[in-house]
Amino acid sequence: MKRDEIAVGIVIFIFGGITVLLSLKMPIGTFRMAGTGMFPLILGIILMILSGAFVLKIFFQGKEGQVKKEPSPESSESPMQLILFLGAMVLATLFFNQLGYPLTSFLLILSLLRILGIKRWGLNILISVVTAVGSYFLFVKWLDIPMPKGWIGI
Amino acid sequence: MFESLQHLINGFGIAGTGQNLLYCLLGCIVGTIIGVLPGIGPIAGIALLIPATFGLNPTSAIIMLAGIYYGAMYGGSTTSILLNVPGETASVITCIDGYQMAQKGRAGPALAIVAIGSFIAGTIGIFGLVFLAPPLAEAALAFGPPEYFSLMVFGFIVLSNVTGKSFLKSLMMALVGLIIGTIGLDPVSGNARFTYGSVPLLSGIEFVAVAIGVFGIGEVLVNVNQPSELLDQGVLMPRLRELYPSLQDLKKSIGAILRGTGIGFGVGLVPGPAPVIATYASYMIERRISKHPEEFGKGAIEGVAGPESANNSACQAAFIPLFVLGIPFAPPTAILLGALLIHGVSPGPLMISQHAELFWGVIASMYIGNFMLLILNLPLVPLFANILRIPKRILLPLVILFCITGMYTVNNSVFDIWMMLIFGAMGFLMRKWAYEGAPLLLALVLGPKLEVAFRQSLMISHGDFGVFVNRPVSMVFLLLTVIFLLLPVFQIIIKSLKKGGISGVKS
Repeated sequence: MKRDEIAVGIVIFIFGGITVLLSLKMPIGTFRMAGTGMFPLILGIILMILSGAFVLKIFFQGKEGQVKKEPSPESSESPMQLILFLGAMVLATLFFNQLGYPLTSFLLILSLLRILGIKRWGLNILISVVTAVGSYFLFVKWLDIPMPKGWIGI
Repeated sequence: MFESLQHLINGFGIAGTGQNLLYCLLGCIVGTIIGVLPGIGPIAGIALLIPATFGLNPTSAIIMLAGIYYGAMYGGSTTSILLNVPGETASVITCIDGYQMAQKGRAGPALAIVAIGSFIAGTIGIFGLVFLAPPLAEAALAFGPPEYFSLMVFGFIVLSNVTGKSFLKSLMMALVGLIIGTIGLDPVSGNARFTYGSVPLLSGIEFVAVAIGVFGIGEVLVNVNQPSELLDQGVLMPRLRELYPSLQDLKKSIGAILRGTGIGFGVGLVPGPAPVIATYASYMIERRISKHPEEFGKGAIEGVAGPESANNSACQAAFIPLFVLGIPFAPPTAILLGALLIHGVSPGPLMISQHAELFWGVIASMYIGNFMLLILNLPLVPLFANILRIPKRILLPLVILFCITGMYTVNNSVFDIWMMLIFGAMGFLMRKWAYEGAPLLLALVLGPKLEVAFRQSLMISHGDFGVFVNRPVSMVFLLLTVIFLLLPVFQIIIKSLKKGGISGVKS
């Protein structure tokens, strides 16, 4: 846990450093007439100082001072389920405009239910169809919100 | 004072006509639905329905549009509590304890206390509007860029200290949020910053994408990462009598509701995203003064009652600068200003005398609207709470579709959905390593304003930083910030002095 905390602290430090470097490429100006880069430059420097202090604090801290991780032991996590879940969301977003809203909703719900373990296809398809049709009528027909029509043109 | 009361009574007469009651009810219902759906905010709701009011008289039109505004504020808290998805920017803070209450099977009391708190805040707020409107609006005008800057710095420091377990971590998240807020156009010079040729990034990172991503998607991913058997469970469901707050819940909440009302009303007069700031300020104070601060973040009812009351109260207070000065201090009231102008009404100091019917009619309708929201939503508490019976295997995909749809509706842009997913992944990692999302979100909202205030202050003072300490109000906020930062040090000193005193006595 201590190693994780230090690693995250270093990542934040690097983020602050990148902000500083990118800000220096913009006009900084003076305090009287601040340029575009001044504010993010100041923020980046402060972030580097704070994250550096945080890393040092954790490094020199004893075990009793460490923050406990979220209660979710490594052995009971489901990384593959998480990756597949994320993958389905990414694919849905990638083809959102081409497939259109109703079809994307249907396919997204179908795949997510399957990934989370709804093995019965009948139930899976029923929930997916009801959700897709329901959300279509709510958002497109009733609230009149323009959604991509995709290939099927609905 | 008696004259104002008489006007208010006349206002109730105007707002209480059948037609105006109907429009108020319609506005509240539409506003609640808009608030529940993430992505579609009150601004969009009001803007979409302005054309529908063209055939109405100005009083009825504004009554309906105002109903959408505070109805949306109400609805936003429902999804915050049930799904950890903030329906509105001002509902983010409700996610912290409201969602935890729902996870413990106390969604009913959480939802009910929001209804009750909002109603009480609305009732008290009405009297504040009537009696304090002109002098308070004048005082708000005394705030210049240095005062705003100092106030926001104070807010960040205090918020970072009251959310999460680590002050340093929360402060780092606030800075990350401020940096993310710099992406887009420089608010002063208009130059592109950190966009690298990307057209969607010119308008910056959409707040809703970050809010839904960090809180909503992040929470879903945390659940998905759990063992498969846990996904068969719905949330622990209470018995019928536990669906509403107990007497103890009400006792615990009443102080928070009254304090939240006062805070929200005061903050609502200040330009900017007042409901957001009011909810954060209320949460901070409740946690500070609580005898059991360790309960906050784990389902403390005060953490829901206070901020939600502050939210409602701030929405009402936002009408003061609009009506009395003709200056909209918040985006939804800016749209309402447009609606007023379309209907031939120019808000300002003369509005009260020239359009007394509209002014007092709208104020009275706010009270009626709050009452309607209470009546509408209290019976729906069991229905909403039952949403949590749905096994997570089925609920989580529905939440994802809900979030993606809502996100797309903001700008009709797939880019926003990508941003939401990226911040969703970030939200998951933040939960994993105990970093708070609330400071990041507040910083994202206030960052551009903080920068404008900072740069304008230095322009006014020709680069002299003394401007922040030479102006009394700004100085007060900076002093409070320093005191707050040094408070832990004082507490340690006092504790060690006491220990030294006790051991001295013993020896």
